[in-house]
Amino acid sequence: MSDQNIFDKLQNIDRRVFYWVLFITLMVPFIYPIGLPVKVVQNTRDLYEGITGDNINPGDIAIMNFGYGVSAWSECAPGFTVCAKALFREGARIVFMGSQYDVELSMNKLMNDAREDFANKVYGVDYVFLGYFTGGESAIAQLATDAWTVYPSDHYVTPDAQIPLMQDFHGWQDVTVVLSSDTGDVGSYFLRQWQGSHGTRLAEIGIAMNGSTDYPYYLAGNYFGLSIGSRGGAELEVLIREPGEATTAMDSINASHLLIVLAVILANVGYLLSRRKA
Amino acid sequence: MAYPTELLSVVGLWTGWLLMLMIYSYPLYKENVAYRFAEHIFVAIFLAINLVVNFQYLMNTCVTPLLQGNLLMIVPLVLGILIYTMLIPEYRWVSRYPIALLVGAGFGLGMRGVIKPSILDAVVSTITAPSAGTMMNWVNFLYIAVGLLSSILYFLLTYEHIGPLQAPTRLGRLFIMIGLGAYFGNTVLFRFTMLTGRAQFFLQVLKIIPM
Amino acid sequence: MSNILKREAVFAVTGLVTVLMFVEYFFFPQDWIVASTIRNWAVIIYNISLGLGGVRLIQQHVMGTQRRKENWQFSALFLVAFVVMLLTGLAGYLGTGVATSNGIYNWLFVNVYTPLGSTAYAITGFYIFSAAYRAFRARNLDAALMLVAGCFVILSNAPVGEVIWSGIPAIGEWFRFVGQVPGMRAFEVVGALGMIAYGFRALLGKERGFYAGGAEE
Repeated sequence: MSDQNIFDKLQNIDRRVFYWVLFITLMVPFIYPIGLPVKVVQNTRDLYEGITGDNINPGDIAIMNFGYGVSAWSECAPGFTVCAKALFREGARIVFMGSQYDVELSMNKLMNDAREDFANKVYGVDYVFLGYFTGGESAIAQLATDAWTVYPSDHYVTPDAQIPLMQDFHGWQDVTVVLSSDTGDVGSYFLRQWQGSHGTRLAEIGIAMNGSTDYPYYLAGNYFGLSIGSRGGAELEVLIREPGEATTAMDSINASHLLIVLAVILANVGYLLSRRKA
Repeated sequence: MAYPTELLSVVGLWTGWLLMLMIYSYPLYKENVAYRFAEHIFVAIFLAINLVVNFQYLMNTCVTPLLQGNLLMIVPLVLGILIYTMLIPEYRWVSRYPIALLVGAGFGLGMRGVIKPSILDAVVSTITAPSAGTMMNWVNFLYIAVGLLSSILYFLLTYEHIGPLQAPTRLGRLFIMIGLGAYFGNTVLFRFTMLTGRAQFFLQVLKIIPM
Repeated sequence: MSNILKREAVFAVTGLVTVLMFVEYFFFPQDWIVASTIRNWAVIIYNISLGLGGVRLIQQHVMGTQRRKENWQFSALFLVAFVVMLLTGLAGYLGTGVATSNGIYNWLFVNVYTPLGSTAYAITGFYIFSAAYRAFRARNLDAALMLVAGCFVILSNAPVGEVIWSGIPAIGEWFRFVGQVPGMRAFEVVGALGMIAYGFRALLGKERGFYAGGAEE
């Protein structure tokens, strides 16, 4: 016991101390924000430019897929909101859908966060909320060939025949761009059944964890753009010049990331010292 | 979203806050009755939402068209119900038919869809040399090409990694470790962002920061 | 006959459906009613099958409550919460076609499910932190490379990385755009080849793992 140095003692510390340190570290930047600038990377810029300017015409139909639930709101919702705003401002018509049970909550949050943009739009003409779907890859493939069988009505049980936007949306050939925001596999279903099979333009507004697996697809041109997690959301907020939730969260992200790197360095210094001693 | 003023909404907000603390009492303190309470409530509500939402979807996509005259919808309805024979040991084999349809559709769609984006496009992207090449572009191109080849060799599990295979598979393992390190880095961002959201909610309910 | 119905006919169905999907892809680029119908059926069967896990869970909790097993009170709590949520949701659906039109269901959905759902997944953030501290050691070259790549990506994901050293974002970007690509692309390619190989095995009836009771019958 008396041979133990500070590093050895730190190794044996109760893990609950780490948890408390982390929780407090996450909270402090909200009370004392700093606001470091966020640099925009190429994949996020490509995503934003891919849904604005000459790449989208008024009246084009875009699919926006809520592949995330309430648990990933802080990761995906900011970027998703910016993309919805950008598409609306270009005059695109948006079909909202999702594979999560709580997709209605995510839609309500989006409508709240982008309320000024939604205020100018007419439901059923400029956008429609189709709601929950299930069926995995079969459903996404079926959506490409016959969307009305996957969604005979919208979330509010209005039949497709009574929705003006749905008259123009039957399958892949009617859609200009697909934006999928995923915690799971739905993005890869769109990749295989829409982009790979029909060449539909596809981008991902995904969680950071999917970022590593999505980069090769972005580099190969399967995704025209990529937004990675809350950092991607903050970058999109910079591009649209409207700071939001992701920008606010960046201070906390800074503190926590610095903490984990320091912890890893500390642990490895201790490890190397104890190896040398042995 | 502003801090709610209606009584039910305020009660709801504080209920959520308390439930959050009950869940966090497990890592921050130890397993306890409050954690078990919140955990069971969550699973129960999640399951009920699952059933309600799926029931709603089933009614819209299958039952309503069936009642409107699309008699072919009887087939998937019956096949879907047959899946529940999995719960009856002597009739379990009947559930294989709807599963066979699901598996067949899944494999067929997956296999036909995966070839272009995951194999062809990946290979083309790897072997396409940089058009306006600085030295760094060429270094990166060679890094990716050599790295991909050696990483794929690492997954050649039908041959032992000795002799001529030893060096490239060892190199491939190093490339894979770099990839996994980057994956870990992104995972940290994901997990900490979720926690950040909870920390923010904790402070917002207490009105320490604005909602 | 019984064995044919229980095994060979099942593999035949799998094989037939797989082949139909391929036929559609190569010979009917626009749409093919046969494949489209089968896919629609698959969606509906998938939907119905999602209740299977729930049935098991409810069985377990009902038995636990009936037999007064250890912590049976939590099983009873589970069943009460489940029934309340289910009935209010169905009442909302039967009333207006949308479950959240029921006030109680909507209140529970927004104020109980949302915070619990977010919290339950966010808890992993704690574990990744303690795991990184306790387990992430540069024991050899492989681990050291992983560590270095991870640390640079972590610091480049946060804006503070640029403040510490201007080279961090550049190196982090290199890891993202180049460094991780061979490894991740290898997973992608090998995974795709594996899916194709596994699919052919299923087509030929060699894979029985996903059929209930496939091993013994």
